[in-house]
Amino acid sequence: MKRGLLFFISFLCWAGVFAQTNPEDDESLFMDTAAIEVRNKMTIPPYGLDKVKALIAKIIPEEDKETTDAGTNAISATDFKKLSLREKFTYTMIHAELYAQNCAIPEYQTQIDKKIFGTLLDGFNESSWSQRQTDFLQENRDSVIKLIQESVIRSKRMGVNYKHALVELNGWQMIPFIIDYAKKTPKDKDALTLLMLLMKRGEYSEFIKSTSFKKLYGENSNYYSYLNYNKENEALIFSRALKYYDEKKASSAVGFLVFETSNLYYNKRQGE
Amino acid sequence: MRKLLYLMGLIVLHLQCEAQAGNYIQIPAGDYHLGDTGSLDNPKRVVKVESFWIAKFELTNAEFEKFVQATGYKTLAERYHNAMVFEPGLAEFRWLQDSTAYWRFPNGVSRGGIEAKMDHPVTCISYKDVLAYCTWANCRLPSFDEWEVAARAGSEGYYFEGFSKENMGEYANVWHGRDHLKADYSDGYLYTSPVGKFKPNPWGLYDIFGNVFEFCTGKLERDGDRSIAHARGGSWWCSKNSCAAFNTVYIGSVSPNASFSNLGFRIVKKVFTPSDKDS
Repeated sequence: MKRGLLFFISFLCWAGVFAQTNPEDDESLFMDTAAIEVRNKMTIPPYGLDKVKALIAKIIPEEDKETTDAGTNAISATDFKKLSLREKFTYTMIHAELYAQNCAIPEYQTQIDKKIFGTLLDGFNESSWSQRQTDFLQENRDSVIKLIQESVIRSKRMGVNYKHALVELNGWQMIPFIIDYAKKTPKDKDALTLLMLLMKRGEYSEFIKSTSFKKLYGENSNYYSYLNYNKENEALIFSRALKYYDEKKASSAVGFLVFETSNLYYNKRQGE
Repeated sequence: MRKLLYLMGLIVLHLQCEAQAGNYIQIPAGDYHLGDTGSLDNPKRVVKVESFWIAKFELTNAEFEKFVQATGYKTLAERYHNAMVFEPGLAEFRWLQDSTAYWRFPNGVSRGGIEAKMDHPVTCISYKDVLAYCTWANCRLPSFDEWEVAARAGSEGYYFEGFSKENMGEYANVWHGRDHLKADYSDGYLYTSPVGKFKPNPWGLYDIFGNVFEFCTGKLERDGDRSIAHARGGSWWCSKNSCAAFNTVYIGSVSPNASFSNLGFRIVKKVFTPSDKDS
């Protein structure tokens, strides 16, 4: 009888290990609000923060003068232009100008610390970046990446807004930095998600052919798809991302040195 | 003279209501199982609901046009030029702002108008526009609970009886592509379809999980002090891979000022007469 009970418990544990992504079938789920809050947390840059916040507070719905696509959730073109690069960075990181489509928050994500999701959470609630904001990020790619590095080193956190910016910028040069960050911040499993999103963005063939890719982004995947977190999966993501980075580095010499220097700086600083 | 105008107004309003006679379903009063154990937004519970009459169909362009013609109303998208539109080729969850888009050109002038789509649901209207329509038409939006009772049609699960992710194409105009990089015409429609084109739920309501998200009234705890609108169901943009929230439990959030080409509404009658009964 005892042996039978042990076998039954072992079976339940085994079945749990392989439990995957269909939350709707599990009635015992509950919402892990604290974990979702961690995944949704943004990093607030300090550059001109008071000035930028004051500008955002002034945004009021005004009749558009038919000269621009700017909606009612944005500062004026003049105000935007007057901001320094660092202030524009702060503005973009704390305020998304466009409306986001109707969406339910993914409530059914339990045991989040044991999962590596395929997608990041939103961070901006009912908003998303406008064209001029993504243009700003792209046009100032190197500076933005450096600002993100500076901020992460200082705060020891990489908010979901920074992660989205790195995906937007296809910031593969940050891979060693992100890996170091992930090792030093094990609670932030979304750093692993970010590495995979960068490999996906770069259409890295080894990753695209992998079982992980199929699970997270394949035919039957969805917004909730995840890999189980364990040391083996983590190590696989690190090694695969580094291999991708090395291949990209080999084929792209320009603009590389600055990131390599920053990565070394980060490693040294964190080791102090 | 003033009395005469008032009487004429009442007649117009009556005719407006009569035009939709037969297009409503009476939901009986009762105790209904709603929500889900896993949800904070919508926890599992039993709710007492009074009887109400809800439209079989999402409100159409033709119906919204009557409102605009009668009142000269200008939607937020027309005033602020801030509507959000879709075209194939965009990354997941990406939309474009298009200053030319409003309900007559829900995806912008360059992507065509609604002239041949008057029986499609009206879209590219904000929550605030919807409230203006309801005031004019003497109707209202369903509450969260009312929408869910009507959508479930007696089922206690995520979907009404008969619907599954495998056969959803029979019941709902949704997106069947893996992503939104290529146009999906596999069910005949890239964007909206005429209302009632797909199978109804067991109580006779059409397009519950597809065509357009439907605005409801209600507030969630997570809204805090923020002014947020909520819409439920699914839309032509939704696929099993992206935004697979077309079920009876999830409650979506969107800015009350936002106008999207996959957002519309279904009305509940404030007052009904015997002629409103469905045959």
